[in-house]
Amino acid sequence: MSNIGWKDVLTDDMPVDLAHEIDIFEGQMELMGQGKLDEKVFAETRLRRGVYGQRYDNGQRHDGFESRELDFDEADRIKGPDTLWHAPGMQRIKVPGGGLSPEQLDVLAQVADEYSDGILHITTRQDIQLHFVHIEDTPDMMRRLAAVGITTREACGNSVRNVTCCHLSGVCRTEVFDATPYSEAFAQFLLGHDDVQDFGRKFKPAFSGCESEACGLVMMHDIGYLAQVREVDGKLKRGFKVFVGGGLGTVPHQAKVLSEFTSEEEMLPLVQAVARVFARLGEKRNRNRARIKFLVAKLGIDEFRRLVEEERKTLPHDDRWTAYLDTLPQYEEKPAKPPTFLNGQVHSAEFNQWFETNVYSQRQEGYSVVTVNLPLGDLTSKQTWELADVARKYVGDNVRATVEQNIVLRWVSDSDLPSLYEELKAIGLGDSGAGTIVDITACPGTDTCKLGIASSRGLAGELRTRLTAKSASLPDAIKDLKIKISGCFNSCGQHHVSDIGFFGNSRRSGNFKMPHFQVVLGGRWRDNAGSYGLAVGAVPSKTVPEVVDIITNRYIDERAKGETFQDWIGRIGKKEARGMIQPFMQLPAFEQEPDYFSDWGDPRVFSLGDIGIGECAGEVVSLFSMEISPAESEAFEAQIALDENDPARADALAYSSMLKAARALVRTQFLDVGDSPDRIVEEFKSRFFDTELFFDQYAKGKFGQYLLDRHQNPNPNPDNDSAHRLIEEALLFIEATHACESKVGGNVLVEI
Amino acid sequence: MITPHRLSVKFYFEELSVDAESFIPVFHRWIREDVVPNELLLDVADYKHILDGPAILLVGHEADYVIDFTDGKPGLLYVRKRDLGADLSNALDTTLSQALNGVKLTESDVELQGKLKLRTDGATIVLLDRLNYPNAASNGDGVNTAASAEAQLSDSLAALFGADATVARVDNDAREPLTFELRAPSAPDVDTLLSQLGTGN
Repeated sequence: MSNIGWKDVLTDDMPVDLAHEIDIFEGQMELMGQGKLDEKVFAETRLRRGVYGQRYDNGQRHDGFESRELDFDEADRIKGPDTLWHAPGMQRIKVPGGGLSPEQLDVLAQVADEYSDGILHITTRQDIQLHFVHIEDTPDMMRRLAAVGITTREACGNSVRNVTCCHLSGVCRTEVFDATPYSEAFAQFLLGHDDVQDFGRKFKPAFSGCESEACGLVMMHDIGYLAQVREVDGKLKRGFKVFVGGGLGTVPHQAKVLSEFTSEEEMLPLVQAVARVFARLGEKRNRNRARIKFLVAKLGIDEFRRLVEEERKTLPHDDRWTAYLDTLPQYEEKPAKPPTFLNGQVHSAEFNQWFETNVYSQRQEGYSVVTVNLPLGDLTSKQTWELADVARKYVGDNVRATVEQNIVLRWVSDSDLPSLYEELKAIGLGDSGAGTIVDITACPGTDTCKLGIASSRGLAGELRTRLTAKSASLPDAIKDLKIKISGCFNSCGQHHVSDIGFFGNSRRSGNFKMPHFQVVLGGRWRDNAGSYGLAVGAVPSKTVPEVVDIITNRYIDERAKGETFQDWIGRIGKKEARGMIQPFMQLPAFEQEPDYFSDWGDPRVFSLGDIGIGECAGEVVSLFSMEISPAESEAFEAQIALDENDPARADALAYSSMLKAARALVRTQFLDVGDSPDRIVEEFKSRFFDTELFFDQYAKGKFGQYLLDRHQNPNPNPDNDSAHRLIEEALLFIEATHACESKVGGNVLVEI
Repeated sequence: MITPHRLSVKFYFEELSVDAESFIPVFHRWIREDVVPNELLLDVADYKHILDGPAILLVGHEADYVIDFTDGKPGLLYVRKRDLGADLSNALDTTLSQALNGVKLTESDVELQGKLKLRTDGATIVLLDRLNYPNAASNGDGVNTAASAEAQLSDSLAALFGADATVARVDNDAREPLTFELRAPSAPDVDTLLSQLGTGN
């Protein structure tokens, strides 16, 4: 058969820039395989394409008795520091605002069963993750996703992560206005933007339409936007209250108000100014203090605001700041069906129970939002394309992932609800209890995460099973409590903002370690993650179901009329709260309770031996190193084009590689050089060529002249000889760029 | 024919009197004792919370072993992911011998023995490669890859499972991978099959 690949098949379906980025990534993989790329640079490069490490990828696994080597072939081949090439990894797929179409669901399902274990996992930031993926499958996976408008760019690494937005935006009964098109414009503007390439850590944005609901959880984000309308000069104007410096992690911070009202015209320049301040002043070397929350805390919000305002004044104008406003009037969601009403019919008790918890009545009469309650955020490939068909039939493109690891179908015409329920049930997606105590959020934990300490998913599965079994008899007071679980202190399960939260840790009993969960009580999900819970003590993992019973029973018994769980915890105080779990804090010996020394769903004797180094952390790579890498990849691609007898493409790629290298060098001194070839060459010439900084001791200005000559005198009809010559020149130019940067000493650092 | 990206085969349980969770400690032990020849076993994934899906996975470098309940039909699914061989025929041989070895290991496991039985008179074979083996009438260039694959699978499997063995393409959704059902009323037992494949004891 043929050697045709997905790249050839999908050429006309992929956006050109996305296709080119993926080609560059594939080239970088090739260079890494040849040992021509620094391991740290490649690690950050793949992270910025969403290609993440996974547990055991250092080639070690504890089997309950001892740590053993996993004997991968090509054991000396790596994809980052201490990360083996052949070890399976995780692919994070960015889904801005969680918005998905049936066509995208189809392709996600297909790549899941061809490249992962056939399971799609919805994350707490509306992303989709696939696990057990081989790195060599990632370029084709990205191409297939790109062909349906999905990018994995900047899904991980020190970048602007997925922009989240309330899943009810646009249909919510209490929102000020629909934040969705704003969040989309924001995501598009910052994707790959020059000013967001030099952060010390990740940067997570969120958009909300209303203040009192959980909505977009803006208070726990690096930057958060809360929709506001103000009267300005007698006219109502849309804008946002802007929060900055929130975050969970080991040290949770509530976001501070950066601006009481930022108009829609100023939304994008403001975040650009924030990005510049963060890139310039944020911590780079100490990852533990590199999130923007630490910078805001260090400077104080007033000084931070002043710096942002000063920065704003210096920004070169960008038409894109306001161009998106022209598209807002056209933004609308189209229901697949006309509105109808669910009147007077008798339904089964099962349907009624599902209706009560999984159906939200939209502000648009005759329509509802249906939550598909996914156990632990998981669904199979098969369920995914079956769900895509259900969506096609009932709601069209109106599908979104949620931060509670579910999927919603919006704009369901109300009389369709009974048949929709039956169809969801038939594909195993008809669970009721969405948003209630049984709908537990959990990060991947020790299942796949390198940082996981305890099994968050194992515990969540166990609690879900137990609570579901008695859900019919649960008192109303606790039905709507939130339980959220993280596998470690890094809070990916968002335990700080749940009524009852847990994060994994461990304690020693005799010579053995025992998996534990720290109990965190009284966090507030509503009010955009309005307050954080109180850590009251750690209990053995296997006792957690009993601990949940003790806490909820006492709340039922003692609460005053109308008293919320948060208010009750606040009233009884930390000492009393700790007293509830105190009996569980006495640790038995291994001989007494051997079961306590293994985790939920994992019979191995518990160990911390599998914890690795998180890939958000650790290495310091210069911005120059990150930006020169694609230049090298393009020079490599140029050689391939020449081998394929395509001199015109080889010539263009060689020239482009020189431009990229020159740009990387210029940006060590001048971040705002932009993308124009004329400008790049002009700045390169004045800063490095005319000053002779670029000159080689012996060759003098020869290598720099290669770029100047090609820029001034492009060859209209390159042949193989001229293209070959230009490739050689490009390689020498890139080498000279490295030498110059070493000599001059770039000082812009990136931490991965 | 070209080697597919992945190839899977699922043998169905004739009896199963243990729950999915029981396979978790078994699979962990398989990893610890390195019981599968020529394969690197990595981890166990627990998806039993998903209704009618892949409940428990033994994840490997070359292949995954799955206690699979898809469509309400419990079975042992073997998914070959790497080192399949030079062509479809090699890939089928590799996949079948390792899958059948998995059947034997499962049936004879010290914790599972007598609690389950897998049948060899039928199986589902899936070519997980939508690029080279599209689930379509033809590839668009007039080539009917599915028919060619079906013919090749029929020949190979009849030689192994008996002359009355039949292979039929499953009429599934075009988005699903190309899938075939094997019916083999005179199928020999696992040891004989393994012996015929040259991988028996």
